[in-house]
Amino acid sequence: MKIIKQTNWMQSRTFPLVLFVSYLLAIVAASLFTPHDPLEINMNDRLLEPSMEHLFGTDHLGRDLFSRILTGGQVTVGTGLLVLIIVLLIGVPLGMLSGFIGGRFDRYFMRIIDAFLAFPDFILAIVLSGILGPGMLNLILAIVVAKWGSYARLVRSTVLSEKEKDYVLMAVVNGLSTFQIIRKHLLPHVVGNVFVLATLDLGKIILMIASLSYIGLGAQPPTPEWGAMLNEGKPFFHSSPHLMVIPGIAIMCTVLISNVVGDILRDRFDVKG
Amino acid sequence: MIHIAKRLIEFMLFLLLLSFISFIFIKLAPGDPVKQMLQVDEVSITKEQIEALRDELKFNEPLHIQYWYWLKRFFQFDLGNSYITNQPVLTELLSRFPATVMLTCASLIVMILISIPLGTLSALYKNKWVDHMSRLFALVGSSIPSFWLGLLFIEWFAVKLGILPSMGKGTVKHIILPSLTLGIAMSAVYVRLLRSSLLESLNEDYVKAARARGISERRIFFFHVFRRSLIPVITIFGMSLGSLISGTVVIEVLFSYPGMGKMVVDAIIRRDYPVIQGYVLFITILIVMINIFVDICYRYLNPEIRLKGVERR
Amino acid sequence: MLLLAVRHLHIYFRSKAIVKNIEFTIRQGEWFTLIGESGSGKSITAFAIGGLLPKEMSIAAGQILFDNKDITYLSNKEFQKLRGKEISYVFQDYQSSFTPFMKIGKQMDEMIQAHCSLTKKERREIAFQALEDVQLPAKRVYDSYPFQLSGGQLQRASIAMAIMLNPKLLIADEPTTALDSITAAHVLEVIANIKEKINCAVLFITHDLRQAKKYSNTIAVMKQGEIVETGTKESIIHRPCHPYTKLLLSAVPTINRFSSSTELDLILK
Repeated sequence: MKIIKQTNWMQSRTFPLVLFVSYLLAIVAASLFTPHDPLEINMNDRLLEPSMEHLFGTDHLGRDLFSRILTGGQVTVGTGLLVLIIVLLIGVPLGMLSGFIGGRFDRYFMRIIDAFLAFPDFILAIVLSGILGPGMLNLILAIVVAKWGSYARLVRSTVLSEKEKDYVLMAVVNGLSTFQIIRKHLLPHVVGNVFVLATLDLGKIILMIASLSYIGLGAQPPTPEWGAMLNEGKPFFHSSPHLMVIPGIAIMCTVLISNVVGDILRDRFDVKG
Repeated sequence: MIHIAKRLIEFMLFLLLLSFISFIFIKLAPGDPVKQMLQVDEVSITKEQIEALRDELKFNEPLHIQYWYWLKRFFQFDLGNSYITNQPVLTELLSRFPATVMLTCASLIVMILISIPLGTLSALYKNKWVDHMSRLFALVGSSIPSFWLGLLFIEWFAVKLGILPSMGKGTVKHIILPSLTLGIAMSAVYVRLLRSSLLESLNEDYVKAARARGISERRIFFFHVFRRSLIPVITIFGMSLGSLISGTVVIEVLFSYPGMGKMVVDAIIRRDYPVIQGYVLFITILIVMINIFVDICYRYLNPEIRLKGVERR
Repeated sequence: MLLLAVRHLHIYFRSKAIVKNIEFTIRQGEWFTLIGESGSGKSITAFAIGGLLPKEMSIAAGQILFDNKDITYLSNKEFQKLRGKEISYVFQDYQSSFTPFMKIGKQMDEMIQAHCSLTKKERREIAFQALEDVQLPAKRVYDSYPFQLSGGQLQRASIAMAIMLNPKLLIADEPTTALDSITAAHVLEVIANIKEKINCAVLFITHDLRQAKKYSNTIAVMKQGEIVETGTKESIIHRPCHPYTKLLLSAVPTINRFSSSTELDLILK
């Protein structure tokens, strides 16, 4: 990693990252401030247009859409983040280990990862929903199983390329323990690459959660997940277009921001591909 | 040729592994499959009936014998019967297969028709307005949920304008909206990829050398640059087959399009295990076969690998 | 007879002058060597002659006359007709002289097709003849991919392609720099033989005085975008005037150690 003179904080690497993380936290936290109960059914207020009382209107059961969107943010984005954290917790240490130990262990390990990556995440989700029945847990499990391998592989290749460099050899010569070398010298290089991949992946994961929930294999009603909300509202789209437009825009904006930030980070961290 | 033979042997080993995994899948599935099968007729089931069927299906044998019978049936393409319709799963799958293939091909055509011109224009007019527009398209396209795009299309073209049907299958018109949705959603990735790949190739020194020989710009672009740029595109295509298949499932459910994807989602909701298992087997084998095909394409485009046998990675 | 005349040529990279007011002429059948350190603007001058300047560079002033025609501001289409047929190039990086995934023969065929309308059989004959002229096994090379040949073979194949259509001017931009010295000597000899055979002029660009010494008729020394001294080979080597030329001469220890060029040839071979 090159040391760049940071004349402008806006141009730095941390700025977009901080902005993005605070945006995500805001989405997750916003569910604490819902004006109405997102699950409260009120048949007198069915399918209301957006107004001051109901900012985004109400759905076919009279539930406040604004509150549901906020809570849905927690479900969709929160689940996406949870998946990412689990994936990182599994993938990063394993990748580091494999890259650091090398040799035969590394070869077999890469074979296993190849096998996992060859299996499309979506098919995995179908298998798991098939065995356990549709639900959010299967979705999380399926994405974790499908995704951890790509992080392990990325971390491994970063470690492999850094390991050969002189300063790590110097550290070995100077008698630092393996753990110290990993923590002090390899981890900082890994972090950048992993952040870029994770940011770009978050968008994909959110899209997948929403899509699977939409076709009924993810979050189940009445959970206010954005994709599941679109599924529930489908019969009423023509008369109440806000039921279609608002959750869709919520998904799109979140994914768009994750993609844009991912692109910026990719340029700043100078990651290829 | 040796390479293809090697791939085929790998494929057979893979099938063996897959048969084992799917055997475990059916064993793990909750509920007693024997009862499930007998319940179709809606008559009360006697213990004798259950025992008779268990014997017939070899369910009383030890597991490894069961696996052996299962393997035999697997290689005879016998995937069992659907719990719901009691039809052989393979027959059901094959009857839905053409519809899904048609949707996939139509989407791929839409994808190619969008991404090749846009990616090319974007690379040729780098940082001009065409480039900015197509990059914006790629960014928004990769952020928009495909099912939501489909919902918007249904709203505009089917409900408001009433010019295209929003569900079912039959005429060419039925396939326009689903394939347009999936094609646009997929093309975003490829526009970007083709653009960066073309830009990289255009900067190569061999392009300069071809120019120095007096080859026309058009010829250089199509015969020297374009083919080279397709290599990463095809590699990524092979890797993103999974997302293509998930795309068809979502789109089929959205448009109530009677393909295999709609079938498997219905099966999951109704807990029709043999159908789920059959679908997964079918799709996995298909993916592996397409990957072999992609590998061959890759070798054709890159003679260095074909002749020297250099590894792909 | 005069073939190429470059007059008061200025080339700019954005707003920075990288070639300043250079002038030289090349007669028909002459071997003209442009020598100078890397970054002195030799290659840029060569690119300018064929209209191959990168987008960010432009000719700010001056004139290039080729075969009594002003070619300074030709359109790209007109340059296309000229390049490969009248003026052809051999580059330093032989690996990039050919498109990597196309057979050599196909690329030669494509080039002939771009300039002449001949039958398939005639085109093949021309290509085979050219490959034989550079002492390559024609049939095998014709059917090979670039990565199947060695460096020396590739460079000779690219020379074959350059002289295939009997150009009037062959621009060789450091053709031997990336080769080992034995192969380099062989490639130089091939160029010299070809030059005699088709009687073309050669604009030879190098940073190595040893290579300039053997075949050149005229040598021009270039430094930081300017030509500091031009003269016949003898006058430049034996009676250098400009301090930079003297520096160049003294920087080649082998030259001074051997009194005659025949001894040098022995070393090179």
